[in-house]
Amino acid sequence: MLSSAQFAQNTSIGIGEKLVFTASYNMSGLMTDIAQVTMETGQVKTSKATLLHLKCTAATYAKWDNFFKIRDLYESYVSPTSLTPYLYKRDISEGNYYKFMQYTYSHKTNSVKSLMRKKNSKGQTYDKIATVKINGGTKDIVATIYHIRNLDIHKAAQGDTQSFKVIFDNEEMVINVKYVGKETITTALGKKECYKLALSLKNKNVLKGGSNDNLLYLTADANKVPVYAKFKIPVGNGELKIKSATGLKN
Amino acid sequence: MRQLFIVLGIIAAVLALVLAVTPLSQIAFLPALAALIFGGIALYISKQKQLPKKSVQLIFLMTLISLVLTTYKAVFNSAEMGNTEELELKEEASVEDSKHILEELEIEDMDIEFDESNLDTTTTEELPDLEGLLDK
Repeated sequence: MLSSAQFAQNTSIGIGEKLVFTASYNMSGLMTDIAQVTMETGQVKTSKATLLHLKCTAATYAKWDNFFKIRDLYESYVSPTSLTPYLYKRDISEGNYYKFMQYTYSHKTNSVKSLMRKKNSKGQTYDKIATVKINGGTKDIVATIYHIRNLDIHKAAQGDTQSFKVIFDNEEMVINVKYVGKETITTALGKKECYKLALSLKNKNVLKGGSNDNLLYLTADANKVPVYAKFKIPVGNGELKIKSATGLKN
Repeated sequence: MRQLFIVLGIIAAVLALVLAVTPLSQIAFLPALAALIFGGIALYISKQKQLPKKSVQLIFLMTLISLVLTTYKAVFNSAEMGNTEELELKEEASVEDSKHILEELEIEDMDIEFDESNLDTTTTEELPDLEGLLDK
C-alpha cells in the first residue's frame, strides 16, 4: 500500500508554488496545444485559522478562443498541515456552458453543503442547494491531486495500489492510484527521474482504459512535482506537460 | 473505380481544407495525405483510360492550399494565451468571497493545529525529547 496516514504532515507542498502546464491533444502523433493549465498555492488568513489555498486554472490559447473558449477555475481551501479540505469551489466556463459548484465541508457530520449554480436557456442563473453525505477522508478533486503528491511514494513497492474517495458533481467516486515504477523522462525542467502512477476511476466510463492509459509522472524528489500526465480520450489522447515550476517547497 | 477515387479524393481534400482553417490545423495533414493518395490513383486511372483530369486537378489544388496553410500555421503560430483578465478578476472575487465563507465556518470545524502559534509551541516543546533520544 502507498503510505498516506490520515494525519500525515504536508512535506511536499509549499506556499507560493506555481506550476504551469500545456494541455495538448494528440491524434496519431500529431500534437496540438489547446490550453494552459496552472496550479498555484497561496495562503488565506481568517480570524480563526490560516489555510492553504490550492488553485487550478485552465484557459484556452488565443487561437482556440473564437471556437471554444475555456476559462475554468478550481479552488480548494485546505489545512496547510494535513491537507484536509474545508471549502471547494469550481467555476467553469466552457463555450456557452457555465457551472459553479461549491462545497462547504463539515467533517464532524461527514457531509458537505453543496451549492450548484447554472445558467438556464434564457441565460439566467439558478441555484441548487443540497447536503451530501460523504465518507471520512473524502476530498474534492483539487485536494486529492495535492494529496497524491504528498504520499510517501518512496516507501511504496511496484504495483502497490491505493484508493481515494473523491466528491465530484455531488457524487462520491473512487480513484485508484497504482505505483507502476520509476522512469526517467525529458521535461521542460530537464531530465527527471519520476514516479510513474497509473490512475483509474472505479465503476466509471471516464478514465477507464487499460492500466497504462492514464498516467501521472511525479518527480522522484521531495517536491513530487507533476511533470507529465497522459489521459486516454475516445479519439486520441490528452497530455499535460509542465512548462515551468516556481516557488517549490524543497 | 475512377469516379470512386475522385469522390473520396474530393471529400478528403475538402476535409483537409476545413481542418486547415480551424485551430486543429495540424490534424489536416491526415486527410491531406489521403487526398493525395486518392488523387494519385484517380490520376493514374485517368491517364491510362485517357479521361479528363480536371476533377483530379481540383483535388490537388485544394490539398495544396490546405498543406500550405497548415505548414504556415505550424511554423509561425505560437501558442499564445488569450485574454485572461476576466478569469483573474473572478479569482480575486472568489478569494474575497471564500474568506467570508471560511469566517462563518464554526471554529470546531478547524483543526487546532492550523494556528501558527500552536505549531511553534509544539516544535520547541518536542525538541528536548528528540535530543534525549539521540543521546541514547
